Amino acid sequence: MAVVVETKQLLETVVVSLVAGIGVTVVFSVAIWGVARFGDLNRDDRPLAAGAAAMLAGLAALFTLVAVAFGIAVMSSK
Amino acid sequence: MSSDVILVIVVGTALAFDFTNGFHDTANVVATSISTGAARPSVAIGIASLLNFLGAFISISVAATVANDVVNSAVITPTIVFAGLIGAIAWNLITWSFGLPSSSSHALIGGVVGSAVAAAGFDAVLADGLVGKVLIPAVIAPILAFVVAGIAIGLVYRVVGRQRPGIVTRGFRYGQIISGGLLALAHGTNDAQKTMGVITLALVANGTLAANADPPLWVIVTSATAIALGTYSGGWRIIRTTGTRIIKMDAAQGFSAQGAGATVILASTHFGFPLSTTHVINGGVMGAGAGKRVSAVRWGVAGNIVTAWLLTLPAAAAIGALAYGLTAIFGSGALGPVLVTLMSLSLIVAVFARRSREGAPVPAG
Repeated sequence: MAVVVETKQLLETVVVSLVAGIGVTVVFSVAIWGVARFGDLNRDDRPLAAGAAAMLAGLAALFTLVAVAFGIAVMSSK
Repeated sequence: MSSDVILVIVVGTALAFDFTNGFHDTANVVATSISTGAARPSVAIGIASLLNFLGAFISISVAATVANDVVNSAVITPTIVFAGLIGAIAWNLITWSFGLPSSSSHALIGGVVGSAVAAAGFDAVLADGLVGKVLIPAVIAPILAFVVAGIAIGLVYRVVGRQRPGIVTRGFRYGQIISGGLLALAHGTNDAQKTMGVITLALVANGTLAANADPPLWVIVTSATAIALGTYSGGWRIIRTTGTRIIKMDAAQGFSAQGAGATVILASTHFGFPLSTTHVINGGVMGAGAGKRVSAVRWGVAGNIVTAWLLTLPAAAAIGALAYGLTAIFGSGALGPVLVTLMSLSLIVAVFARRSREGAPVPAG
């Protein structure tokens, strides 16, 4: 019988799914953590730390959106 | 003339299947968003329909697999494709009536394989393609979604576990608008292509297209429209099973399940694997539940779903073979497909009438 299982493609599917699925979910949760911390630190009157938390939240949210757009672009390029 | 009539019936039946596919799978796409309160049902279903439509235009890799790698197009006739579609539609309706989120994709492939074997023997099936591109990914994909969602939710709880629940829930509800949208896009991409593949197969069998041809634009547009309309008309029966009966979900779990489902489907679609979006999404839902607490998953409900999964390919194949046998009784002309279509329509009306007498299920959330 010929090579039935397309091992390389299956393996790539597994790796991409693990990295993208877990990575994007965790990064988005970092964005939520940043927003939550920003609120808390702002109330505690710690503007520098609050700003850092807000920046982290913004970067994480941006990363999430870019990752989603990249995924769609890769899909539609084939 | 007769073959053209059969081709028209096949295309109509394929689009009807595509409609039932969207109808059947609405739950997969929107159930988690609705059950966690991330979106109102009408909004979630409307967005899912639109993104299902757009998703159908992204890729044709899966359509090529269905058209070229599962059955031998040299021995396939439009009547065989028609009988396979009848098998798939019948199985979709049976599982819908029991509220079970089974796979429309496996029903379609099972139906076509069953009718092809009934018509031309086992030589009609391309075993390598069936095993390598359908069966093995069918086993791996839901397990992969389970693992991705399970690990992701564990890490998510570590990151946000000490934050105020209100803001975390609101954040993940917003996130679910993105992950749910991506899931709808992935669903349209993978599932609409199966119908495109089957119509292309029928066009090749009829001599309208050359072997290994890509789906024509009108096939892509009509398939996208049919699945989007089906999604828009989707039923509450399966939404309730997926959204509330497997696990009681919070917004973080919904986000993790949808994210896992979307990434697995998009990655698989890229390589042309026609996997079951239903299995993947339910695998993600179970993983998101088990990642929080193994006992959070209602394993009895999950067991029923897995049983339906295991039955789908052989059951749809058996119905497809039976439909081909019935069609063949009336010869090779258009009479068989016409009569079987009428019989199928009568059965569909009977199923809907019976269900509406029993009353509509209570919406979740």
